[in-house]
Amino acid sequence: MTSAQTSFDVIIIGAGHNGLTAGAYLAKAGKRVCIVEQSDVIGGMAQSRENAAGIMAPRFAHLAHNFNPAVIKELGLESKVSLKTVPTIYLSPDGRHVDVTDETISFTDGTPHPDAEAFAQLRARLSRFAGLLSPLALRAPPNLSDGLSLTGLGELASLAKLGINLRRLGASDMREFLRIVLSNTYDLILDDLPDGPLAGGFAAESIWGAWSGPRSPGTVFSLMYRYGVGTSAQIPQGGMASLVTALADCAQHNGADIRTQHRAQSVMVENDSVTGVTFADGSVLRAKTVISSLAPLPTMHLVGVEHFDTEAVRRVRYVRGKGVTAKINLTTNGLVDIPGLDQRRREGRLVIAPSAEACEKAFNAAKFGKIPDSPVLEVYSPQVTEESGSTNDHHLLSINAQYIPYHLDGGWGDDARARLQERVIDLLSTYAPSLRSQLAHAETLTPLDIEQETGAPGGHWHHCELNTDQLLTVRPVNGMAHYAYGVDGFYLCGASSHPGGDVTGLPGRNSAMRLIKEGLPS
Amino acid sequence: MTNELTAPGPHVQQGLLPTPFFERLNAFSKTKNWEDWAGFLSPSEFQFVEQEYFAVRNAATLFDISPMCKYRISGPDALRVVNRLVTRDVSKIRVGRVGYAMWCDEEGMVIDDGTIFRLSEDDFLLLCQERMYSWLHDTAWGFDAAITDESEALCGLSLQGPTSYSILDAAGLSSLKDLKPFDLRNPEPDLWVSRTGYTGDLGYEFLTKPEHALALWDRLWEAGRLWGLIPIGTAALDLVRLEAGFIAPGQDFQLVHHAERLGRGRTPFELGFENLVHFDKGHFNGRRALLKHRASGPRKHLVRLDIEGKDPAEDAFVYTGRGKKVGHVTSAAWSPTAKRNIALAELDAPYGGSIRQGLWVEIDVEKEGVWKRREAKVTVVDGPFFKNRRARVTPPGPY
Repeated sequence: MTSAQTSFDVIIIGAGHNGLTAGAYLAKAGKRVCIVEQSDVIGGMAQSRENAAGIMAPRFAHLAHNFNPAVIKELGLESKVSLKTVPTIYLSPDGRHVDVTDETISFTDGTPHPDAEAFAQLRARLSRFAGLLSPLALRAPPNLSDGLSLTGLGELASLAKLGINLRRLGASDMREFLRIVLSNTYDLILDDLPDGPLAGGFAAESIWGAWSGPRSPGTVFSLMYRYGVGTSAQIPQGGMASLVTALADCAQHNGADIRTQHRAQSVMVENDSVTGVTFADGSVLRAKTVISSLAPLPTMHLVGVEHFDTEAVRRVRYVRGKGVTAKINLTTNGLVDIPGLDQRRREGRLVIAPSAEACEKAFNAAKFGKIPDSPVLEVYSPQVTEESGSTNDHHLLSINAQYIPYHLDGGWGDDARARLQERVIDLLSTYAPSLRSQLAHAETLTPLDIEQETGAPGGHWHHCELNTDQLLTVRPVNGMAHYAYGVDGFYLCGASSHPGGDVTGLPGRNSAMRLIKEGLPS
Repeated sequence: MTNELTAPGPHVQQGLLPTPFFERLNAFSKTKNWEDWAGFLSPSEFQFVEQEYFAVRNAATLFDISPMCKYRISGPDALRVVNRLVTRDVSKIRVGRVGYAMWCDEEGMVIDDGTIFRLSEDDFLLLCQERMYSWLHDTAWGFDAAITDESEALCGLSLQGPTSYSILDAAGLSSLKDLKPFDLRNPEPDLWVSRTGYTGDLGYEFLTKPEHALALWDRLWEAGRLWGLIPIGTAALDLVRLEAGFIAPGQDFQLVHHAERLGRGRTPFELGFENLVHFDKGHFNGRRALLKHRASGPRKHLVRLDIEGKDPAEDAFVYTGRGKKVGHVTSAAWSPTAKRNIALAELDAPYGGSIRQGLWVEIDVEKEGVWKRREAKVTVVDGPFFKNRRARVTPPGPY
């Protein structure tokens, strides 16, 4: 590995977890790979960074809901990435919190929950259905652009398999799957459960990171997507940083070059084929294959819209993706107690969504450009693994605040950011009364801040909405769903490509696998 | 309570609209036979189609082209936008020139054709049949170019026929004497004249502002008094354009934005316009698809046919000698000037391409209530059926 090297087989733009995954696969396949990253740290949305209190903390994503075991296995990361299940607790304003981690759903005080059975059955059903869809995530979406021909039969295999597996479910399950797959979680959940913290938390699982409320169509699908590898959230041993490090190490071990603070300015094209990447400082790296892990429109701008057909530009311009999730990172002196939770649960994933109705109401505010009175929160306390220059007993509270609109009425300024921070701290204080007195440092990242730091339009987790109109053969858009992105040698590997967002590693993997299978341009 | 919706009378104009020349057209129209051209009243004929046809070939004619859509593309990136739109290399069209062009969708299927007027280095006027405003905006997205719909800000007349230059001369426009075919000039304020047309004959097209419309008409009419000038309608125009070998979108091929069924669009190759697809100019819309189409070869050939006999082969099927149906006629007529029975036909490749011999058409002819089926031998021909040197000579002859 030498930084003087200026010519590669593949240049990957963006060292987010998908860029790193694609890089690791390609390097492992013997390609000379260079991964360039605008930021000074790798990981993108999964990055960890030293906060103002000097603690290494996950900046955006703090959990891996859905990291795919195939990636770990195929890259040989078993010894480095060990995922453990994080307890999930749905908090209740009255202190009757519900633990939904395992099969037995109960109040945190140990008493049985009256709706435990209904909840468990519904979740198990969704999980079973999610299992049907998950094989589709492990390969490029079927390409039917050449019509139904004998040669196209292979493309149909994955869909055919889904059909067969659907039939195997039996008539009643199959009917149920088809009934609910495009519907909304609000109706689905409230059919079986009374509204309250259990239903609210369940509904919230379908909307994290998305511009949709529990009543939005397609939320059932989003939930199934998230349950693709099981229904529980996971954390790698050693935190999110260890996952990113493992992927980067794997890439580098196989010869890949990772260059941070390298902001790709443009992708060079000659004769409709990519030839390399130029950087802000005027330097140039050459490669005949360039993969972008950026969102669709920024990816297009790298090459220049003149290299894309009008229809493609139009589709990409109108990709749906309004960021609606803010991140609030709190540092506290000592662990903040939450009455009703023991130590194990306190360090779990805490969801504040008092009811499905409250979720939907919070979304209403966002639709009109307002910060909701009561945002929906996912709170997690990452373990402090590394702390520089401090002997304090510092703890972290990492919060995803849902329904914080990117397009805030009046715009995002310091005042608005402070207002959001206060509102979230106030809300959390109702569950953790000592929070304010223990607070050492707070940092709020609005969707606009997330966009500015990561480049993801709207600060959107998935780069574009993960919903049924932007899935499979139409993700990110019709005509560009198979990772190839217009110009010869140009590819997409980010969250906007199939199968989609969250920290799964799959878009990066699938994109790299396609390239390896089809061969790189020489 | 009265508001826009409850007020008496239509709040949007309904029915076909008059063009700025309508007052004059209407005064000449004996048949009052109007048709819908892009929402405007357009004459099918004024009295006799034959008379109008012969005036194009032997004297001079005026045709109202105001319903054409006219889009201005201007700004620093105007050339890039137009080049991105159409398949030909527009940088080769110099300022003061007009070029015929086609544009395609992402699958390489023709959206429309039209003429590009290069008014200055970074100012273009596109004339076409179909509404293209939103398409042009989408094409220009990300570029520094303004798209303006000047369809109703400009109106136009087409002066066509051998004596048309003599009329220009008499109308005080002799400065246009050296105007070559496809040249464009701005001889007076608010008046653009190009030596272009849809007849294959000597002719000029005028664009002006609606407030000058009637004055322009009267000026040409006065000048044409001794030169046999008459107005014509679409019926005569359709005949002369077929003689000249020009294709009519929507008739000889389907515009892809109107086709709902798969596979009904056509590539420029299939319409016989390989020479208008310039792959070496960089990316343009449909380029990648057209490269594939070029490699896989055309599915169809739009060809010119010379048909035995004199019965027009309208809507006829085309067969091989063995009776295999290989295509159909899209336009057909008896050409009074060429004295040939002519047609345009779409044939399944390779017919009309590598196989051009041994083709027949089956023509159903009705004579006073009796139908007869005739089989006629056809010859695939290259080039227009009507071609006359006078159309291209500069300065034009004083016919």
